[in-house]
Amino acid sequence: MNTDLKLKVTEIQRFCMHDGPGVRTTVFMKGCPLSCAWCHNPETQRMSSELLYYDKKCIGCRLCERVCGSKAHIFSDNHILDRERCSACGRCAGECPSGALELCGMEYTVDELLSVITRDREFYREQGGVTLSGGEPLMQGEGAVGLLRACKEEGISTAVETCGYVDRDTLLAALPYTDLFLFDIKDTNDERHRRYTGVSNGRIIENLREIDRHRGRTRLRCILVNGVNTDEEHYRSVSALSESLSFCEGGEVIPYHAYGGGKATFIGRSDNGRREWIPTEEQITLAREKIRFKRG
Amino acid sequence: MEFYAQNQNKRPIRLSEPTRKFAYDSLERRYGLDTLKTMAVELDHIEGFDELSRIEQYDLAIKKIVREAPIRICEDERISGAATLGMAIDHVIPATYGGKAISSSVSHLTVDFETVLKKGVNFIRENAQKAYEKYCGTEKEAFSRSCLCCLDAFELWHSRYLDALKEMPEYKENYENLKRVPFEAATGFHEAVQSLWFTFAFIRLCGNWPGIGRIDHLLGDYLKKDLANGVLTLDEAREILAHFFIKGCEWVNGQYIGSGDAQHYQNIVLAGVDENGDEVTNEVTYLVLDILEELGISDFPTTVRINRNTDEGLIKRVAEVMRYGGGILAVYNEEVILEALKNEGYCEREARKFANDGCWEVQIPGKTFFIYSPFDSLQLLQQNTLLGYEDTPVFADFEALYLKYREDLYRAVESIFLDKEQKFKKYDVPTKDWKWAERRPCTVVSLFEEGCIEKGLSYLEGGPIYNVNSPHIGGLADTVNSLYAIKKLVFDDKKVGFSDLMRILKNNWEGEEALRQYLLNKYVYYGNDNDEVDEIAARLLSDFADICVSFNGRCGYRFPAGVSTFGRQLGWSRKRLATPYGKRAGDVLAANCSPTPGTDKEGATAIIRSYCKADHRKLATGAALDIRLLPSSVEGEDGLLALMSLMRGFVELGGFFMQPDVVDASILREAQEHPEDYGTLSVRVSGWNARFVTLDREWQDMVIEQNEH
Repeated sequence: MNTDLKLKVTEIQRFCMHDGPGVRTTVFMKGCPLSCAWCHNPETQRMSSELLYYDKKCIGCRLCERVCGSKAHIFSDNHILDRERCSACGRCAGECPSGALELCGMEYTVDELLSVITRDREFYREQGGVTLSGGEPLMQGEGAVGLLRACKEEGISTAVETCGYVDRDTLLAALPYTDLFLFDIKDTNDERHRRYTGVSNGRIIENLREIDRHRGRTRLRCILVNGVNTDEEHYRSVSALSESLSFCEGGEVIPYHAYGGGKATFIGRSDNGRREWIPTEEQITLAREKIRFKRG
Repeated sequence: MEFYAQNQNKRPIRLSEPTRKFAYDSLERRYGLDTLKTMAVELDHIEGFDELSRIEQYDLAIKKIVREAPIRICEDERISGAATLGMAIDHVIPATYGGKAISSSVSHLTVDFETVLKKGVNFIRENAQKAYEKYCGTEKEAFSRSCLCCLDAFELWHSRYLDALKEMPEYKENYENLKRVPFEAATGFHEAVQSLWFTFAFIRLCGNWPGIGRIDHLLGDYLKKDLANGVLTLDEAREILAHFFIKGCEWVNGQYIGSGDAQHYQNIVLAGVDENGDEVTNEVTYLVLDILEELGISDFPTTVRINRNTDEGLIKRVAEVMRYGGGILAVYNEEVILEALKNEGYCEREARKFANDGCWEVQIPGKTFFIYSPFDSLQLLQQNTLLGYEDTPVFADFEALYLKYREDLYRAVESIFLDKEQKFKKYDVPTKDWKWAERRPCTVVSLFEEGCIEKGLSYLEGGPIYNVNSPHIGGLADTVNSLYAIKKLVFDDKKVGFSDLMRILKNNWEGEEALRQYLLNKYVYYGNDNDEVDEIAARLLSDFADICVSFNGRCGYRFPAGVSTFGRQLGWSRKRLATPYGKRAGDVLAANCSPTPGTDKEGATAIIRSYCKADHRKLATGAALDIRLLPSSVEGEDGLLALMSLMRGFVELGGFFMQPDVVDASILREAQEHPEDYGTLSVRVSGWNARFVTLDREWQDMVIEQNEH
């Protein structure tokens, strides 16, 4: 196996509770083929590294200014980051004492990731393990498959959280080393899917069926966005889709929240959070009632 | 009638409506306020009281207590007896002379309820009678007489309850059960629960705060027999046992502010192996879990002994109950504790009996005198090793600094030893009996501690089989983080000179915000699974344990090492200086063996791993780890699995004691603003539970702070 494989990762989070069964370590990977309007993790969308700037943490020490080769840090009344000039080299983040600057998208080798993942081995037991998330982890196909394979060789259970819009060959390569797919179904209405995520859902649903044909276990994850996919037609389609799969083990409805919006500002974009998208308690209850996920 | 839960789930309902109402009324302070109506008995009128010896005064006080304490029979209660004198809640004997309690009382012990249940108090009386005959005319006569006197008092109090119950036909069942016990051996489950409660209540009536110990071990056989004979159903047994827990809330009055009104060291231990190595877990274990789950009563902090072989079903039940929050359940890792006790010199059969002192420090119940001597390892570093940051001599390297600190640690432990040695004098060379110089009478608890009656020595005079004085190191994470920060900043990275750092610390980080932030953010401290810093923690604990062991055998008590702060980190914060890892003077720092608030960033598994790198088999009284979990993180089947996995991993990695608490800081804030809506919300504070709204503001803030990170 090529152990020099590198993966671009935004975060490695231990003791993750919402990414599959048991105790899990989730590796958030950079890059995503979709551009969902409601994206909860906007810092994972682009494949290139980005500088995160949390202005509230800045103590005005100006150490960043001193090390920056591109003069991207400007201090007048406030500390302003000129993203036009910033090359995301990460030098300032290395110096910043207060954690106001952080480089998002560090490269790790499979072995480096494995050495973090195996630390929680005693807590994984049979059910827990590692989850690759993002972004779309299978966008970094070779690296993701390498990591999944290395985990399986270590006897660690694996899950992949995917948007499904991925290359068929990569998907098939990942299949033998993936115990569970947490598969996003954002919208069953293709027209809306195109409008809000930038791509068609045709390939996504085809890939889901392909996984099922290969006896891959899946759990469906359905985001609920008020006014976008809060209609019964969608609920029925998801139920039918779930029912048509032989190896689907259930799923969950994930209500949209606006917390991710603020995160966009840290990478220099405007807040994409929209309060009107937050579903009401009644909508959530109804969706959970109407969407019948097949139980495994 | 809602029993508060931190998660969204409704607590299940299995108990009858009257029992639930009894619980609700008790938690809403009905009986606690009643207890405050009569604070104590008065001894002022007794002529010549001043001239009496302390033990004679004590005997008179106990006699008066049992004669005059109000009798309380609660609405719908299924077991009777009540500790109805308010001053007992202040940890003193509720008898005053000249307006003051005559003496303080005893806690931090779990007494021998097994003898009471299986043989009856009459058996104890026979032993006391024999001892009295043996010691008559010796200097032990007074204590032996006091034993008989206190047993008489117990009987008198018992007869007052029988008389009262006899007059109330609706309490016929209570009367019938109380007729034989606790003086004779219990024959059935209901009698056994009554016997246990009545004895517990008597000891508390006299001001003492004993732990309960292994309730499933004590009661399991009675229930098994009654179920087999068809005398009882499980539902009926649950009902009866619930009354034991509900009556245990009779001191809940909302008025003991500070560290809360819910902690009287009435701890319970569940499951684990018995002295033969067989698993104890039985129907009673599960009934206790049912009751805690339904009523959320936090007054009996309960710890479950788990090991690699613990049944998955039990772990699952424990996780289910934990999820409601309130920190009611904690776990012991049995294998490590048995190793630690054996290392300390207990034989295997004896070690297997372990329960605790009413907090979490491990002891052999009914046989152990226990005290602990806490000290702050951080102040020791700041004041002794680093001389208050003034004219501190420069250390050549990290090792030189560490070795100097270890020397200071030795002296600190030695001074604890010498101080206690002075108070603990040699008594009799041929019999090798030891006793405390101070003779504060404590006959009531001595009756229920093996060794006291036989030796003619009280609980405080070296009467019990084992006598333990445990030095407790506090501020562990803070000391380790401080040492690590100096190592990295000064010696490894050479970013700042040693003397410069001392000057900066002396000035409490004034004008050095960038460096302070650097230290807080760029180094990875204890609780994040960073081997480099965790090794310092492991080394420090190992050295501390070795130092303690080196004093073993030099006096009549055992000297096992432990780790705790309980709530001392609050008081200590006022004396602590700035820390080298970026905290300012006055900040409230780490609790027990947990990380410093705000420095742990990797989550629960990393905290457990950091903690488990120390060799806990060397720490015979233990090191407590508090783990805070958000309610959302343990939701659903996945969350339940995760909580179970945390417990399994903790055992696998060799931890000692872990208390996970499911709690949401925003809910605590809400409770701080609207205490009236959160009367039954409990939190694990620092080794015990407390109803949140009865903590004072400073304590509440500390709990919130600990939960926000």
